[in-house]
Amino acid sequence: MFFVKVLEHRIHLHPSFFGAQASAYILDQLYRDREGSNTGTMMIVAIIDVDDISEPKIVPGSGYAEYDVSFRAIVWRPFRGEVVDGMVSSVVNNGFFVDVGGLSVFVSKAMIPQQLKYTVEGATPSFTDGVDQTVERGSQVRLRIKGIRGEMGQMFAIGSIREDYLGPLLQ
Amino acid sequence: MRIYTPPGLAYPITVTKVTCREGEDVKENGALFNYQYRAKREVWDDDVRENVEKELDHRADFESEVEGKVTSLNVQVGQVMNGRVLVAEIEEPCKHEVQFGGMCADCGRDMNTVSYSTTVKNTERATINTVHGHTALLVSQAEASRADEEAKRRLLDSRKLSLVVDLDQTVIQATVDPTVGEWQEDETNPNHDAVKHVRKFQLVDEGLAGRGTWYYIKLRPGLKEFLQIIAQFYELHIYTMATRAYAKEIANIVDPDHKLFADRILSRDENGSMNSKNLKRLFPVDTKMVVIIDDRGDVWSWSPNLVKVYAYDFFVGIGDINSAFLPKQQALEARPKQSAKKEKGGKDVKTSDTPEASSSEAKSDGESSSAASKKSTPASTPLTTNGDVSAVDRMVSMAGKQDEGSLDEKAEEQDKTIAAQLADRPLLQKQKILDAADEEAKASPAAEAAVELLSENGDKRDTPPPEGSKYRHNLLHDDDTELEHLTQSLRNIHQAYFDSYDRDNTTLKSSRVAELRPGHSKKRSIDELEHIPDAAIIMSDMKNRVLAGVHIVFSGVVPLGVDIHNHDLGIWAKSFGANISENIGKRTTHVIASAERRTAKVRQAAKRGGRIAIVNQNWLYACFSQWKRVDEDVYRIHTDATTNGKSGKDLPDGVEGKPYSEVVLSSSEEEAAQTEDETDDSLTTGSKTPNGRLEIDTDVDELEQYAPDDQRKDSSPTEEERDEDWGSIMNEVDEFMGSEADDSDTESVRTATASDGTKTPPSQRKRKRDAVVDGGEASDATDGDGEGDEGESRLQKRKKEALARTTSLTNVANVPSTNGSTPAAEVSVDPGGESKEGGRDDADGEQEEEEDDLEAALAAEMERQSEEDGDAA
Repeated sequence: MFFVKVLEHRIHLHPSFFGAQASAYILDQLYRDREGSNTGTMMIVAIIDVDDISEPKIVPGSGYAEYDVSFRAIVWRPFRGEVVDGMVSSVVNNGFFVDVGGLSVFVSKAMIPQQLKYTVEGATPSFTDGVDQTVERGSQVRLRIKGIRGEMGQMFAIGSIREDYLGPLLQ
Repeated sequence: MRIYTPPGLAYPITVTKVTCREGEDVKENGALFNYQYRAKREVWDDDVRENVEKELDHRADFESEVEGKVTSLNVQVGQVMNGRVLVAEIEEPCKHEVQFGGMCADCGRDMNTVSYSTTVKNTERATINTVHGHTALLVSQAEASRADEEAKRRLLDSRKLSLVVDLDQTVIQATVDPTVGEWQEDETNPNHDAVKHVRKFQLVDEGLAGRGTWYYIKLRPGLKEFLQIIAQFYELHIYTMATRAYAKEIANIVDPDHKLFADRILSRDENGSMNSKNLKRLFPVDTKMVVIIDDRGDVWSWSPNLVKVYAYDFFVGIGDINSAFLPKQQALEARPKQSAKKEKGGKDVKTSDTPEASSSEAKSDGESSSAASKKSTPASTPLTTNGDVSAVDRMVSMAGKQDEGSLDEKAEEQDKTIAAQLADRPLLQKQKILDAADEEAKASPAAEAAVELLSENGDKRDTPPPEGSKYRHNLLHDDDTELEHLTQSLRNIHQAYFDSYDRDNTTLKSSRVAELRPGHSKKRSIDELEHIPDAAIIMSDMKNRVLAGVHIVFSGVVPLGVDIHNHDLGIWAKSFGANISENIGKRTTHVIASAERRTAKVRQAAKRGGRIAIVNQNWLYACFSQWKRVDEDVYRIHTDATTNGKSGKDLPDGVEGKPYSEVVLSSSEEEAAQTEDETDDSLTTGSKTPNGRLEIDTDVDELEQYAPDDQRKDSSPTEEERDEDWGSIMNEVDEFMGSEADDSDTESVRTATASDGTKTPPSQRKRKRDAVVDGGEASDATDGDGEGDEGESRLQKRKKEALARTTSLTNVANVPSTNGSTPAAEVSVDPGGESKEGGRDDADGEQEEEEDDLEAALAAEMERQSEEDGDAA
C-alpha cells in the first residue's frame, strides 16, 4: 500500500562542503541516500518535499556537520494479506519468484492451484494448466501476500495464487 | 515431529496428569502433561526466623514446542522420567520444508521466531539450497530428494545427463583490457583478425564510480556447435565464479535464445563459497548423473565427475579475470605463461646467439617457465620444420617475447593486485592494465622497428608486413581445438552411461518383473532410480583406461618443492590412470620434461634407450583432451638436439630410438654414398680395435680427417681457403698435438667412441659428431687428404678461441655459420645447447675442458659402452 509519510534522515557533511552550497549538498545527499531505498519494512518511492533542514551541529572530534532533515515521501509498504501485482522473475520446480517493486515474493507449489503443473518445455520451465493459464518468466501475476519479513535493506514475502481471481493476468 | 523431554529438566520427574489424548490437536506451547519434581528451595522458617533450604515438590506443565495433531503419546500417569524420553509424536500442519527469506513458503510463518520451549530452530529444517539463482530459497532434505527424483526421471526420459559448465577459460575467455577494443576498431592492426569476433558488454561496477567497464569476451572456437551438439545429450548448467550480472551477460552471448541454459545459472553470488565449487550446491542429493567441465580441478576438489579441460587462453597472459575468487594455485600461475611460452620457445631459438642472456633468463624464469612450457614445442616446431629459421623469425619471436614481457608483467601485477586488494580489485586492475597497455604501446613500435631492421639484413627483405602481423598474431592465436575433443569425450561418456543404464535396466526388469507385477509401478521406478549407474564411476573407468600402464616421471616441469602428487598435473595424470613416481625406475615408461632444460632425469631416461619416451607436457595434455593414449612421436623432445651435433654443440644422451634413426639419416644420407670408404676406415680404427682406442696416433689421424669437416661446418670456408699449404698445416697440427699430449687419452676416447658411435646406436652423443665428421670426410675424400690439415690449423685457432670463451659462447660462434651450409644444422640452435654438457661435447672446445669433465665423460662413455655390450649380449 502507498502512503505519504514524514520521515527523518540524519546527514553528515564534510567540512570541505561548508559554505553557501551546503544546503544544496544536503538535499542532493538526501535524494541519493533515501530515494528508492528499502528500510526493511517499506520502500521509499519518491521524496515529495523537504519540510525542514535543522541547524547543523558540529560533531565533536570529527569536524563533520550534522543535519537532521525531515521530509515527506511516498512510501510503499506491503502488508500480509494484501493483493499485489508483480512480474515473474524465475520459475523453479518448487515454485516461482515474483518481483513486486523491490519486494521479492516466492510462490511455492503449495500456494499454486493444483491444476497448474510444473512443466519444462524446451528449456523454459513454467507452471501451466495447459489451457489458458501459464506462469512463466516474464508473465504478470496477481498474488496475495501470505507472509512478509524484512531484513535491513531487503524484504521477502511469501505469496499465494491459490484463490479466486489470483494468478496470471490475461493480457 | 517427535517431542522429547529436554535435558534441562529437574529429573527425576513424575507424571501427574496427561492433558491431551492421541488424535487431539495441540497448540504451540500447549501442555502435553503435568508433572512434579522435587527441588531444594529456601523457605522461611518461623522457628529459626530465617530462610532454610527445604526439599519440596513442585508442579509444572510440559509443553509442546510445535502445534499439530498428537499422533502418539508415550506417557502415563505415575511414570517417572530420569532423562530424555520420547513424549509424543506430533503431526504438524506444515513442516516448513520450503523456506524463503526466513519464512515458510507454504504457510507464510516467520521461521526466525523462537520461544522458550524451542529446541530446534525452524530455520534448521530447511538448509539445502537447490535453486540456481536464489540463495534465499532453502528446502529440507526430504524436499530436495523429491525434487531430485523428479529431475532424474525427467532426464532419464529424455536420455540426458546434467552437464555443469564453467565459463571463464573453459568456454570463453574474458578480458577488460581496452586494447582489445582498440584492436577491434583498427582494421589495420595485425590482431584485428583475431579479435574481430570478440564480443563485448558493459557492466557497471560499483568500484568504478558508476562508470561501466567493458568486458571483452572471446568465445572458444567451435563453441556454438559444441553447445548445440552437447545440448542434445546433456542438460546444461552454468556454474561460474563470476558475478551474476557477468554470468547473465555471458549467457546472453553464448545462448541468446536462452534455450540451452535457461535459468540454470549459478554464479558466485549464489554459490555460498568464494573459493570452491561444490556439486552439492546444485545437486544436493546425488550426483550420479552429473558431468562437469572446468579448467580448474582444484576448485572441485578433483571431483570424479569432473572432465578437466585445458584452459582456454586466448588473451595471452590475462588468465581468468574472475580467478581472484579462486584459491591461488600453481597451475594458475603457470597457465598464463603457457602461451607466453610460445614466444619463449621462439625466443630460445633466437637467443642462442646470446647464451648468457638466455641462460640468465632461464634462471630467472626458473620453474615457472618450464612448468608452463606446454606450448613451447608446437611453437618451435613450425619454425624448425619450416627448415630455415630465418633471422627474421627469430627477431620476430624475440619481439613477441618483449611484448610478452609486458603482458607477463601485467599478469603479475594483476596477480599482486588481486592478492592484495580483493575488494576494490576492478579499479586497480583496470589501472594496471591501462599502465601495461601503455608499456605495450611503447614496446611494440620498438619491436617492429627491430623486425624491420633485421629483415633488411636477412633474406626476407620483402616480407616485413606479414612478419609484423605474425609477431602480433603470435600474441593472439585463434587455434584452439579443445572443444572438438571435448564434444567427443562427452558423447562417449553419454553413450557409456546409457549403455550401462540400459544393461542394468533390462536385467533389473527381467529379475523383477515376475515378483512385482501388479501395482508396484511406483516402487519399481524408485528402485530403478536407485540403480541408475553413477557417471563418476563410468568416467573414472573410461579415464583409467587412457593411461593405464603408463609410469610417468616428471622432470623440470613442476616447480621445485612442489609435490608432484599434489600438483594439478600429477593429479590430473593420475585420474587418467597413470602412475607417477619421483625417480626413473624399471617401470618408467614416460618422462615428461621441459623442452628448455635437459635435466639429470632426462639424461638418465635417455640412457635407457627407446624404452622410455621423453615427451613434453603436450603429450600429456593431448591424452587428457582426447581421452586416449596418443602417439608420442610428435611430442618427443630432446631428440632434435642430436641432429644439432653437427654444429658441435650437441647435448649428451638426449636421444632414443627414433631420433637415432633421424640422426643417422640426416647426417649420413647425403654423404654416405660418397664416403663409405672413409666411414669404414674410421669404423675400423675406432670400433674394431677397442683396446687401441687410447692410442694417440689413431687420434691424430682421426682428428686430421675430421678437422676440416668441423671447420667447414663451423665457418663455411671458401674454396681458396682449402688450397693452403698442406705441410705447414701439418706442422701446426703436430705442434698442437704435442702440446695437447696430456689430453690425448681422453681425446682419443672421444674420437674412438665417435667412430664407434656410427655402429652403436646408444652412444648418441658421439654419433652426432661422427655423423658430422662423415659428412666432412665425404667432401674431403673428393678433394684429397690435403685438405684435412688445412682444417686442422683452423681447428687449432678455433680451439684457442674456444679457450677464451665460455663453452656456451663456443656454441654461439657455431650458430651463424650453420645458417648457410646445412639446413639440418639449423635445428641445432637448441636452448639446451647452452648447458655445460653441450659445451663438453663440442669438438673444438673439448680439449680445453677441465679434467674433471673429461673424466666424467670418459666414465660415462665406458659405462655406456659396457651397457651396450650387455645389451648386445
